[in-house]
Amino acid sequence: MSEDVRIIEREKIPTDATLIFAFPDVGLVGVIAASHLIDELRMTEVAYLDSKLLPPVIVLHEGLPHFSVRIFAGQGTLLAVSEVPIPSDVIYPIVDALVSWGKSRKVKMMISLSGIPIEDRQDVTELKSFAAASNADVLKVAREKGIEILTEGYMVGPQAVVLQRAVESGSPALTLLAQCFFNYPDPEAAAELLKSLSKITGLKVNVAKLLEKGEEIRLRARDVMKRTQQEMTKMKKGQEYDIPMYVS
Amino acid sequence: MAVRKRRATSNKIDEYFEDMERWAEQVRETFTEKPSWDLENCAIEPLRDMTVTPREVIVTVDLPYAEKKTVQVKAVDAASLEILAEMKRKIRLHELGVTYREGVIQRFHSWIHIPVRVDMQKMKVQQKKGILEIKLPRKR
Repeated sequence: MSEDVRIIEREKIPTDATLIFAFPDVGLVGVIAASHLIDELRMTEVAYLDSKLLPPVIVLHEGLPHFSVRIFAGQGTLLAVSEVPIPSDVIYPIVDALVSWGKSRKVKMMISLSGIPIEDRQDVTELKSFAAASNADVLKVAREKGIEILTEGYMVGPQAVVLQRAVESGSPALTLLAQCFFNYPDPEAAAELLKSLSKITGLKVNVAKLLEKGEEIRLRARDVMKRTQQEMTKMKKGQEYDIPMYVS
Repeated sequence: MAVRKRRATSNKIDEYFEDMERWAEQVRETFTEKPSWDLENCAIEPLRDMTVTPREVIVTVDLPYAEKKTVQVKAVDAASLEILAEMKRKIRLHELGVTYREGVIQRFHSWIHIPVRVDMQKMKVQQKKGILEIKLPRKR
């Protein structure tokens, strides 16, 4: 792990867990899903990430400070979630540290939660989820669970780095992406993503409350979405719209 | 607000202008960073987006909690739109997690500058899933 990034454990970390990642990204899909997951599975904070590479931000809750990147645990699952967008120039060291930590805690699988933007999102009533994986075996599992495979395309952001590192180390990793808005918080997409996560992990997650509170979530998330847009521009997130050119 | 050009062909000139737009956006944000709400008018600025294609300008505005029938889109002049929408109920800042001051939000309010010449008379407006979509044909 880099000296610039430390993971501080506050509680005993379960082994053989699934490690889920959720970072602010298109439609804030991963973060909205993660927030619902924490409530539904009654997950508790077990660790946090400390780094001078991140902006000097703490999140206050009930008057007490919390780090912006935290790790929660519950029901055989670890969940690393960031409440602020990761600046594009430090994505590599931050993700490297989280992946290395996960490997040191012998996680059985890493899953990133994110979205894939579609331009006519408001016209789409039935959203789809897609999967990409670090190896063919994990891809096969996703396919067998009925999740469509993102066969071609570009992936930009922290979830891309998670897959890169998983390939390098031979670790099983999966990225789940739900169709979503690019620039607007999308709780419906988050619900769709959680349904796919349930298929893969067997976790029982009721998304009814998430859909019920959809408008409230969209209103509350507007400022985080705005800051995330700025980072997405810097990391050229719009490349995900591009026609892919795979060089074989 | 991000202004995006639909990518038909990507070339260096497009990229140059996109970089300039991003730079201008960053400069504007540096000088004007302020809360998204305006307590004097009990208003909050909605998230919005704009796409400029060769034929039209498409503006979308995210209006969660807005009462659909109160949504108003006004062409203020040849290059500006004003968007107004009342919320379904008054929302206290405390409900949004802002606990250091009192205040209520009861409407969305936004001014949008259109960067190319458009025909405001032929504006088409529709709402779906709480997203307002405005289409403006470009003038030749």
